Amino acid sequence: MSESAYKVKVAKDLADLIPTFLSNRKKELEALRAALAAADFEQLRQLGHRMRGVGNSYGFDGVSDIGKHIEDGARSGDKASLEKHIAHYGEYLSRVQIAYE
Amino acid sequence: MTGAVDLAATARQAPPQPGFRVLVVDDDPDMAAFLGRLLAGQGMAVESVCDGESVMRSVLAAPPDLVVLDVMLPGISGFELCARLKADPATALIPVVLVTALEDHDSRVRGIQAGADDFLSKPVRREELLARVHTLRRLHETRRELEARRLAAEVQRKEAIRKAFSRYVSPRLAERIIGELGSERAAFGDAHRTEVVALFADLRGFTRLTESVEVGEVVGMLNEYFSVITEAAYRNEGTIFSMAGDSLLVGFNVPFPQPDAPLRAWRTAQDMVASFAPVLARWTQRGGMPTGIGLGIAAGEAIVGNVGSPHYMSYTVIGDAVNTAARLTQMANAGELLVSGAVYEAIRGAVPAGRLEPRGNVALRGKSEAIAVYSTRL
Repeated sequence: MSESAYKVKVAKDLADLIPTFLSNRKKELEALRAALAAADFEQLRQLGHRMRGVGNSYGFDGVSDIGKHIEDGARSGDKASLEKHIAHYGEYLSRVQIAYE
Repeated sequence: MTGAVDLAATARQAPPQPGFRVLVVDDDPDMAAFLGRLLAGQGMAVESVCDGESVMRSVLAAPPDLVVLDVMLPGISGFELCARLKADPATALIPVVLVTALEDHDSRVRGIQAGADDFLSKPVRREELLARVHTLRRLHETRRELEARRLAAEVQRKEAIRKAFSRYVSPRLAERIIGELGSERAAFGDAHRTEVVALFADLRGFTRLTESVEVGEVVGMLNEYFSVITEAAYRNEGTIFSMAGDSLLVGFNVPFPQPDAPLRAWRTAQDMVASFAPVLARWTQRGGMPTGIGLGIAAGEAIVGNVGSPHYMSYTVIGDAVNTAARLTQMANAGELLVSGAVYEAIRGAVPAGRLEPRGNVALRGKSEAIAVYSTRL
């Protein structure tokens, strides 16, 4: 994912929801790591599915893209792919930059 | 899905406001908050719940104007919830928007089968959400307005019927008739043949009395007389079919079956005479002219129904029982009740022995055969 992918534009009227949104994403990341460690693919699929739905809605397209990869990886049981995308998710969350408009 | 996120921190419960109310159902608190924020921004009152059980509780406690329902819920699914809402007449008209994954065509088919009014795909686009909700809001408001108009027309129609029927029956019976309107049991339907007990009451000697008192006084006296005997008929759940001159026709076993119709007619006759006694005493004291009620009761098959023209309809009973009761009344003296043999047989077990005396077989005017007649002084 390129540097520009970490820049997101969020509608101003959602601004006060973003801290909780990001806090929940960090908890989600921990849940993904725990599910991967336990090889719980169903849990991984569900988490990925939810990321797909919620990310784009708030303007965080990267969350949805990574969620799709995690969902697909969980379906095919591709642990290496899951490891890669979960690591990428961690990087994304630590570097994401938000502009309100 | 596990508790990977903080439900309590995100699931916002908007305080109830007047206006258009939306219930958002999503187990993902961020999605619920997002949908709630967009809808609240349009001036809608939003409540968010995260599971199926809460949906039913919330809808029953305060029905919303719209439900935005995620299909993937823990416990009861969105499809099942939608089907439940649409199956209950109390909630069937509430529009439901199902929120599904974009490529999930199977979910859309299931949603249509469950009765969903519209669909939204995740990720939810602001413009699409608002466009769909506004369309459903307009539809819902139009539907609600039509329903309000229909209810108002229904109330008006029932009130007109209540007024019309209150001429014939007691207020309690009128309520029962109104309650049965539209049902297959509706009592005031088309004309039909049925067993009827007919009671005629007539004021003996009143015509002579009217010759010696002022017109205004005659009307006042008739009002007193009819008030008293009409109340007696209502107390025994009789149906008043006609009031003419100084006579009153009351039917029993119509419009609703009364297995004890002959006894009701008997009790009504007694009630009429007893209730009229104080009035009669005043009249006698005032004018000294002898008068009193003569009564006749007969039973048999008759045709009952609304008869007349589109401009004037009257609930009417026609048949031999009515004619016989009228003839018996003409024969009865003041304070006397004459009943036909059929009525006597029906009530003899409940009437003290000797109370009704046989008058033998009597040939009534207009009837080819003589009938058994019984008499009593009331």
